[in-house]
Amino acid sequence: MIEIACPNCQKRYRLDDKFAGKKAKCKQCGAVLVIKAPTAGSTKPANPTPPNQAAAPADRVAKPNAKSRAAAIPPVVPVELVSPVQPAAPDHSDADIPTATAIPTATEIPTAIPVSDDPFAEIPFAEVVPSATPQAFVDPNLPRQRTPSPGNAASPGVSETLRGTTGHMKYEISQRPDFSIVKIDLPQGGKVYAEPSAMVSMTPTMHLEAGFKGGLGKTFGRLLGGESLIINTFTAQDGPGEVMFAGGAAGDVAYHRLNGNSLYLQRGAYMFNSEGVEVSGKWQGAKGFFSGEGLVLLKASGTGDIFFNSYGAIIPIDVTEGFMVDTGYIVAFEESLQYRVTVLPGLRTAGKIKSFFFGGEGLVCQFAGSGRVWIQTRQVKSFLAWVNAFRPTKSN
Amino acid sequence: MQHQLLAQPAMSIAKLTLQAGESVTCEVGAMIAMSSGFTVETTSRNRGGGGGLAKGLKRMFAGENFFLNHFTATAPNQTLWIGPGLLGDVMHYPLSGGTLIVQGSSWLASDVGIEIDATWQGLGKALFSGEGMFWVKCSGRGDLFLNSFGAIYPVEVNGEYVVDTGHIVAFEDTLNFKIGKAGSSLIGSVLGGEGLVCKFSGQGKLYCQSHNPPSFGQLLGPKLKAR
Repeated sequence: MIEIACPNCQKRYRLDDKFAGKKAKCKQCGAVLVIKAPTAGSTKPANPTPPNQAAAPADRVAKPNAKSRAAAIPPVVPVELVSPVQPAAPDHSDADIPTATAIPTATEIPTAIPVSDDPFAEIPFAEVVPSATPQAFVDPNLPRQRTPSPGNAASPGVSETLRGTTGHMKYEISQRPDFSIVKIDLPQGGKVYAEPSAMVSMTPTMHLEAGFKGGLGKTFGRLLGGESLIINTFTAQDGPGEVMFAGGAAGDVAYHRLNGNSLYLQRGAYMFNSEGVEVSGKWQGAKGFFSGEGLVLLKASGTGDIFFNSYGAIIPIDVTEGFMVDTGYIVAFEESLQYRVTVLPGLRTAGKIKSFFFGGEGLVCQFAGSGRVWIQTRQVKSFLAWVNAFRPTKSN
Repeated sequence: MQHQLLAQPAMSIAKLTLQAGESVTCEVGAMIAMSSGFTVETTSRNRGGGGGLAKGLKRMFAGENFFLNHFTATAPNQTLWIGPGLLGDVMHYPLSGGTLIVQGSSWLASDVGIEIDATWQGLGKALFSGEGMFWVKCSGRGDLFLNSFGAIYPVEVNGEYVVDTGHIVAFEDTLNFKIGKAGSSLIGSVLGGEGLVCKFSGQGKLYCQSHNPPSFGQLLGPKLKAR
């Protein structure tokens, strides 16, 4: 005898052993049940408990449309709930089966929303499904690896809020990676220098002054580097102040602390910096030309804080033994790295130039030495190329 | 090959870790970054398999590139970062002997153990499904990576299921689909904004995407300056 529970509505069924491995439709809600062969002495449910019922009291669970097609969609299962009862987990010995999953008495879940005289009184609030990271639908039947952190102890998770206190300010980068926004708290007299239009909001204690900064050469260099001529200076004149900064495109923000060393930034990546940091354009010669991303990289040097942004998520990678990045995906890199722009190596030597022309990857930036590279997961260029096809054509 | 999916669902990127001798076949242009211990090869066929020009051409019609890039690790623990061009999710599908039919532009990368071939689904579907003319048929064993525009959600079809055109990412070949009207009358369907839909039947898994690129493009296009 096999005992299973409907993954959708928790209705329990007892079935003959001959149905093992087959699929059946739930009589109550129409969801598909996978009938698993009984493991020795175990009555494990065929599927993990859906979170909306595990997390919420049963009487709040509204299932008015159990017969509609929505019922066939497996519910959103948060990461924390999937992993301990992963159905595909190969290593469940008898000792591992938690006694709590033994079949309870079959309880019928109310299928209708309680009705009240006041039409607004009983509308339940939209449930927030708890999840470690904002993720797409998780398919409970697939053994997907869902680790929020890129596996590098030095680099935080891609969607984690970043907080810190520096000698100049307190900062918090939230809503990562899609709509990242930075909040900074400055003490009275504190200053930051920002690209125009980066500021989103600020307290009235902050004073804004626009101007050229760093002399003609540096100003012109910034212009070549894809940044504005003007740098705005924000000063917390009338007491401590707070400013929010965000990038132009939906994307991520990263923070880096400079300790006398330098950082190169790709065109348009610069957002703002604290005192002690000098930002200037740097002529890259042929290297910059071939990068296809503009002639000049911005160079930030000194001692202080710098913030930069991207289209797409930013992923920091610590390079120790050689690394290659498609030129369009570089956001920033440390000066301690040597770099050169080249076609994908290994192809030129054999005379297979075709990967350069047809391989799509085209030019890559080859890094050597040790240091950190920040890459972005999308590039605006690809989006523009795609949307270009939808532009209307001139009728003549 | 180990994999990790990061920054899901909008900015998704896949980090693949390969050991010496392992290789993976990627869509051209999918590579974002990689360790230096890879050899890269561009061909018009599956690695070590047949195909050649004819298959390359068929793939081209399927909305995929004519060429494929093969990355082979020459040293242990080499990482390869791949991602799609547009905003959207990346999905991992472990193929174990079955066949998955993938919408032309959703194929991102696959293990060398997977045979990728373009398949013709018939004229009606080619014209009205809102997807490409051809579909990519993936069969064999190994890891398969798909990408979408928007988020991906799985549907366990048992019987029938309806998907709007342009929202299909992939489906198991135990499913069949045909083009049909959303409502009972054609005029009603068109007025309802749904027009034609894809009707699936059979038993198997279906993966849909939350958004469809042509809808977004048609929203943006008229607001842009003429070419």
